[in-house]
Parts: sequence; structure tokens; C-alpha cells
Amino acid sequence: MEQIQYYYFNLPIMRDALPTMLHGLGLTVLMALTTVAMGVGAGLLLAILRSYPSRWIRWPIICFVDVFRSLPQLVIIILIYFALPYAGIEFSPFWSTVLGLSLVLAAFAQESFWAGITATPRGQWEAATATGLSHTATVLFVVLPPAIKTSIPSLTNRIIAVTKGTALGSAVAVQELLAHAQSIQSVVANPSPLTLGALLYMAIFAPMVAFSRWLEWRYRWSR
Amino acid sequence: MTSAPVLQISDLRKSFGSEEVLKGVNLTVQRGEVVVLLGSSGSGKSTFLRCINRLEEPTSGSITLNGNSVTASNANLRTLRKQIGMVFQSFNLYPHLTALKNITLALRLSLGQTRQAAEEQAKHMLAQVGLAEKAHAHPSELSGGQQQRVAIARALALEPQVMLFDEPTSALDPELVGSVLEVIRLLRQRHMTMVIVTHELGFAREAADRIIMMDKGEIVEEGPPEQLFTAPKHPRTREFLKHFTGR
Amino acid sequence: MFLENFFDINAIIYTYPLLLDGFLLTVKLVAVIVPAGIALGTILALIYALGGWFTKAGFILYVDTFRSLPPLVLLVFIFYGLPFLGIQLGSFASAVLALVLNGSSYYAEIVRAGIVAIPKGQWDAGRATGLTRFQTIVYIVLPQAVRNVVGPLLGNTLELTKATSICSVVALPEFLRTAQIAQSHVYNPTPLVFVALVYLILLWPLARLVSRLERGIATH
Repeated sequence: MEQIQYYYFNLPIMRDALPTMLHGLGLTVLMALTTVAMGVGAGLLLAILRSYPSRWIRWPIICFVDVFRSLPQLVIIILIYFALPYAGIEFSPFWSTVLGLSLVLAAFAQESFWAGITATPRGQWEAATATGLSHTATVLFVVLPPAIKTSIPSLTNRIIAVTKGTALGSAVAVQELLAHAQSIQSVVANPSPLTLGALLYMAIFAPMVAFSRWLEWRYRWSR
Repeated sequence: MTSAPVLQISDLRKSFGSEEVLKGVNLTVQRGEVVVLLGSSGSGKSTFLRCINRLEEPTSGSITLNGNSVTASNANLRTLRKQIGMVFQSFNLYPHLTALKNITLALRLSLGQTRQAAEEQAKHMLAQVGLAEKAHAHPSELSGGQQQRVAIARALALEPQVMLFDEPTSALDPELVGSVLEVIRLLRQRHMTMVIVTHELGFAREAADRIIMMDKGEIVEEGPPEQLFTAPKHPRTREFLKHFTGR
Repeated sequence: MFLENFFDINAIIYTYPLLLDGFLLTVKLVAVIVPAGIALGTILALIYALGGWFTKAGFILYVDTFRSLPPLVLLVFIFYGLPFLGIQLGSFASAVLALVLNGSSYYAEIVRAGIVAIPKGQWDAGRATGLTRFQTIVYIVLPQAVRNVVGPLLGNTLELTKATSICSVVALPEFLRTAQIAQSHVYNPTPLVFVALVYLILLWPLARLVSRLERGIATH
């Protein structure tokens, strides 16, 4: 018991590690927020574009979505960071991670929004069309608002799953939370910083998980 | 009264796959005329109505509104649709918008009205259908009859040349039907041109200038309501009336 | 120039045995983790459904804890942290443990949601015909529940399969790891591109299937 406390909950070590780790946490949060903004924004745009009746728009979007749902996140990040430079395209570790995760989130967010759009009753489209609204106006003002609402539970789950991937940044040397936890751990030869790191991750993600649970609960009882 | 036709439809055909649901329908509607379409389900009357503003794409035939072709390949559909009001069986109100906003949306986006002008117009329309006090209610807070009256106001607000009603009372509880029919009667008094698909035979007899009987994608009989109800010529009409009046 | 860099056949021919080993190890990981995750997840969901409020709270604590932790954090903790207690699991066992803990929490939540969505009348019918609670859930409720959540279950299987690539971080020579080693041998990103293509070709059909099944549920 004492051993467990010494190795995993060593408060003096945690206290010393905390300032550095909070720095890492800040970078993790920054990566997560940037990923959410870019991924959800791109996903929404793709879902809107996909509603246009042209296969030249629809097909590339479906391909994009399938590719980034099929590839592991870490493979995408590694490709961006280690392979793209051979083509003369270089991203920093931070942006390699954020870009990779944003592409994945865009694909999943597109699916969530698209599911909401296709769930819109046909009568809504017809009513808008019959009053002379353009396709764009119909999508933006009639179809999307309820569609976004229905897509929120699945979107929240995807946001959690993808932003947890910020920890993968440590594999391309982003100095985020996990990277700091690991490096301090190897310096002090004590895994308490890993415990602290895990607790800090939970501090961010546990409320989001609880929020998604609440959303699903509310959705079930509102029907 | 001028007798220029508002709506002229000739040889309208529509097929779904190999099944022909409209087999060459001709109809001319005069300004201010109220035409009621009768027929059993599957007779093609709803499809016919939905072809008029091209929610359903006709296979062939021509439709003109005030002399402008609706079916031409270069027709400005958005402009024409603003002139054809449509009321659906299932109301199709936008659930996320209030009654007022349901009406102002098209006024602002299709007609380009200012917010203030649109809201004034919308309130005026709501007052006409007797729902002035429900302007800020969402559809879920309204009864079916109220929702359908808002839907009628939404279509009327664009000041259409003709109104199409696709079974406007079929989704309503019996006690709510009257309020919707009342609004349509009011429109009739104001000489609104209307084409109505309905199963309310009493209302059809009282409000229609002309009744069209459809069967299997064709018009089998048409005429003034008195003639059609008291002396139906076609056997399908007789059968239909017998079935629906229970006599 | 572009082809030479990204699709250099010689680089693949040269590193092929290494990549094949990596691929087989990834297959082995998936073959262990997915069944174990499903089994543990289902057992947890059954315990939730049959237990009292204390058990239910424990279930939610387990599921939400492992849903809140990035799997890589869990893996690093197990691989680098546990040896201090004398628990030396090695990279394969660490990977299995981390991903089974992560995967089972998602599977458990999916099966639980399926179970609570089954109408109470099904339970009543089972109990009324003399079945025990355990028999009712195993023979009546669970089969229906699982059928309703096949889409999400497959979706999580896809995610878990993709997640095995994080094991490269603890030097487990799975598919991605061997690609990185191969790349450092040939000074050329072709092995990385090749591995990405293999993932894509193998997982694309699964991704299609998952989105079809999820669509089917949405339009029900």
C-alpha cells in the first residue's frame, strides 16, 4: 500500500511536476480546441455541400470521409509529419497533429451532420421549395437548424474520441501533457507524473463524457 | 370579372417507372375560380397538384401560369413558385421557428423584404387566419388546426396568384377541420383562385365552382357541384359518391 | 520524382519481410483485443442490468473512466508505470491490457444502451413464463439488444482496430512501427504510404458497412 502511494501518488513529486505539466495541459487544450474548430467547421461545410444534387460534389466528399474514417489517427499524423516533407510540405509537430485530427474529425462530423440532414422529413424541403426558397437558403435556414440539434449527441461522442487523440502528438514530439508526463517520469524515476497526467486528462474529458451521457439521457426521455 | 385563365394545364403526364399515374390531364382554371379535385386514393390527384409547382417533375405536358410557362426548361422556377401557394396535408411547418418566423422566412429570403416589413405582413396574415395571438408560439405548441392555418398564412403571405391545397384537413381531428375550412371559405369570398384536393364532400359541394372527378390518372367527369352531386354521369363518380356519402 | 519518393517499389521489396511481420502482429493484436473487449463489455453490461444501484454506479465509474482516458495514456501508464510495482507486462501484454480496458468500456456502454432500450414488457413476459432474471436477460433481452446495436458494435470494432497502431509508441513492432523502422532503413516514406494504403484497403469496407448500418438505424 505504502509502495503504491510512493510510486503512484507521490505528492512532492507531483507538486514539483505540476507547473510543467500545466504547460503541457495548456497545449493539449489548445490543440483540442483548434481541432474542434477546424474539424467541426469543415465537417459542417462538407455536409452542406453534399446536399447539392451533383455527383461531382458528392463523390469526392464521400471518398474523403471514407478515407479518414478508415485510417488510424496515428498513421495520418505520422504520414503528415514524416512523409509529407519529402514532397516539400512541412508542418510543425503541433500542426501535424492538429491537421491530422481535424481531417478525422471533419470526416466524422460530416457523417453526423449528414445523418441529421437526411433525417429531415421531405415535407420540410417541399414547404421551403414551394415558397420559392433557393437550395442554399433551404439548407441553411430550414434543414440545418433541426439537423444540427439531432446530430449533437453523436457529434459530442466523436469530438471526445478525436480530441483524446491529442495525446498522439507526443509521438511526433509535441510538448503536450503526455509528453511532459513521460519525460518527467523518466527523470525522477517515479511514475507519479503519469498518474498526475492521467488525472489531468480525466479532468478535461470526464466532464465531456458526463455531458454526453446527460445528452443521451435527455434525448431518450424527450421522445 | 375578367376571364383570363390563371392556370392552363394541357396533356400532363407523369410516370413513376413503368407506372403511368397521370395519363394526359387537361385543366384550365379561371381567375377567382375554386376547383375541387375528387377521387379515391391512387387516382393521381395529389400527384397532379404537386406537378403544378413541379415538386413532382411531370414526364410531359405543359403548364402555364398567367401565360408564363412553368414547364419550360428555362422557366424561372423560384419566381413561379412564389406565385403558386401550396398547403400540405402534413402542414410542414418548420419546427424550430415560431409561427411568425415560419411566415417571414420566405418573405425575407424569397421576396427580399426587410425584417420589419416581413413581420408586419406576417402579423397581418396571422390575424387573417385568426391566430394573431399565436405569433410567437412554436409549431409544437399549436393544435393541428392552428398549425394548418399558420401554413395557409405562410403560403398566402407571398400573395400568390393561385393556391393549391393538398388534402388540407386529412391529418386533422374531426373537431379541428371546421376552423381550417372556415379560412378557405374566407379566401373564396375574396376571390382567391384555388385548386383543392379534399375528401370533405359537403365542403366541396358548398365551396366549389367546379368539381373535377379523377380516376386512374384521368379526368372522368367535371362540372358544377350541383350537377355532379345530383346527377353524376360516370359510373366511377357514382360509385365514389355512394362510398363517401354512405348512401 | 513524386513516384520515386512515395511509391518506390524497391523500398517495399527490400523491407517486405519486416512489414509482413508487423502486419501479422497487428492482426494478432486485433484477434485478441476485439473478442476480449466484446466479452468483457457484455459481461459488464449484464452486471449493470442485473445489479442494484451500487453496481450500476460502479459500472458508470468504470465506463466513464476509461472513456475519459486517451488509450495512449493508459498504455504508457501500464507499460512504463506498472514495472515500478514489479509488474513487468512486456509490450504485447501491455497493449492488450490497455486496449481491452478501453475497448470494453465502449462495448459495455453500447450493449447497456441496447439492453435498456428493450421494452419492459419483454422482461415481464420472460418472468411471467417462469424464467429467472438471469435467464430472461440471456435468452430474451440480450439477443434483441445486440441485434439493435450491431452498427455501433462494428463501429467500435473499427475504432479499436485502428487504435492498435498506438502500440508503436511502446516499441511493439506492429504494422505502423515496422513501417517507421522500414522508412529509416530506406530513407524514403514509401513504407509509410504502403502501410496507410493497406489499412485503407482493409478497413474501407468495414467503414462503409458501419456507416450503412448507422444510416439504417437513423432512418428507422
